[in-house]
Amino acid sequence: MTPSTAQQAWEAYREHEFAVVTPVLDMLGFELDAIQPHTRGERYLMQAITTAGGKKMILLGRRKTDGMRVVIKTTSDPHGMRELEHERECRRVLEEINFAYQVFRSPTEILFTRSNGYLVSIQAFIEQESTFLARPFEEQFRLALKAFKAQESAHATTYGHEQLVTKTFGTMDAATYSAAFNGFKRNISHELQSGILPDGLLDEASKRLEKGQEIIEQYGGFLTHTDFVPHNTRIRNGEIYLLDHSSLRFGNKYEGWARFINFMTLYNPSLAEALIAYVRLNRTPEESLALTLMRIYRLGEIIWYYTDTLKKSSGDLHTLNEERVRFWIRVLAAVLHHEKIPPEMLDEYRRKRDSLRSEDEKLRQRDLH
Amino acid sequence: MKIVLATPLYPPEIAEPAPYVKELAKRLSGRHAVTIVAYTRLPEKVSGVSIIVVDKHKPLFIRLVVYFFTLLRAAWHADIVYAMNGASVELPAALVALVTRRPFVFHIGDSAAHERAKQKQLLRFIERFAFARTKEVTADSPLVRPEIIPFEPFPAEGMAVYERSWNTHVNALEATFTHDT
Repeated sequence: MTPSTAQQAWEAYREHEFAVVTPVLDMLGFELDAIQPHTRGERYLMQAITTAGGKKMILLGRRKTDGMRVVIKTTSDPHGMRELEHERECRRVLEEINFAYQVFRSPTEILFTRSNGYLVSIQAFIEQESTFLARPFEEQFRLALKAFKAQESAHATTYGHEQLVTKTFGTMDAATYSAAFNGFKRNISHELQSGILPDGLLDEASKRLEKGQEIIEQYGGFLTHTDFVPHNTRIRNGEIYLLDHSSLRFGNKYEGWARFINFMTLYNPSLAEALIAYVRLNRTPEESLALTLMRIYRLGEIIWYYTDTLKKSSGDLHTLNEERVRFWIRVLAAVLHHEKIPPEMLDEYRRKRDSLRSEDEKLRQRDLH
Repeated sequence: MKIVLATPLYPPEIAEPAPYVKELAKRLSGRHAVTIVAYTRLPEKVSGVSIIVVDKHKPLFIRLVVYFFTLLRAAWHADIVYAMNGASVELPAALVALVTRRPFVFHIGDSAAHERAKQKQLLRFIERFAFARTKEVTADSPLVRPEIIPFEPFPAEGMAVYERSWNTHVNALEATFTHDT
């Protein structure tokens, strides 16, 4: 699909879905907000690459009877329906696991129903006092640490119903991490034009993961949220609400940490450094190594994610995605060689990103993190 | 002394008594020959400590039998077996104590398991059966290591108190072990 047709296809899908879903929601007692930021900007490029994500719309609206703000997920796509049902099952099982219930909260489910060929999942919108990144540094650190500790306290083998728990959430072990990374490596090498990727960088990363197989396996079997980043959570009165339950799985203890720390390398480098230092100061050297290995794995994934968007984007967005690929390659090199990303490089990247983002994307990003 | 530590949990598990057993093994290993028998798969290593693993993925009955024979072998020539509470260790440990007549000391480090034993008849029976075969049951535990927060001052005071609590604990244990043997 060419870049313009990918965007046009999404826009056509979006308009069609609005036309069909609006009366369905009206019948169910809900109305949509006039502005729907999560259907705009770069939304059309988004597709999870390691989970079976289907097509769905994430909409904001209100319950007509009392004006309560809600988040509405709708889909008529079979993959999308499976994803929403899976997410609901994850939410249910998560509540069964005592540990997490004390730390993670789920937005109240208002409605989960099928209507006119659509699956509609509606949850209460969680108002938060401020976004994660707008909170004081120390609070960000404590909230992140609390969330990671809650995930770690669930080890697959400690449950009598291990089969149910691992089947619901899915599992990754050292071999599957390694195979997945090699898949990213193959795809990136195939799709990315020469000159962007330094020679041997992905081979070096792959070898590092191979060498660390035992460490990855040793810290495997823990519950981990593979997309634990601010836009997938909301915080109110010190409570963490998980918005995306479909990214929970049993895998390496540090996979969730790695995703979060990689994200914070760009958004709050001091927080990333504090979390890395926390592991170094309080845990075994093997655990620090496990964290580094998981960061390498997740960087491979994000580089492939943006490489894959290149053929679906054009103009400024294409230029931006190329910059993203370059940026995350630079971060991967830094992690592999135990270097820090210079602040001026981060500033330059952010400047470029902000200048290349569309107005719709800027609107979608507002208050997201 | 030859000391066997029998535990249901061991790092990378993070729930108690896993961290306690690892730290204890580290502190005892300088002066004693320490062997750990644990339900785990890829345990965190401790220099100078032998760790024997029993796979907890096996069905309950099989893993209890495997744990029994593993502990039996380890306990045969031991001077003392220091076992952590929890039915999965209590039952095989009590049977090993009966067979080998080696001195056993039980540690109640997993308070949740101890509470469960109070509520459920079968677990209560196993716990009582096990504790009746031991010379001593102790609930004494050292303090939890203070966390080092990177952007806060090093908790020097807390660390000193933590070290003292461990020294006191290890000394008391060694006295118990020596007395029992």
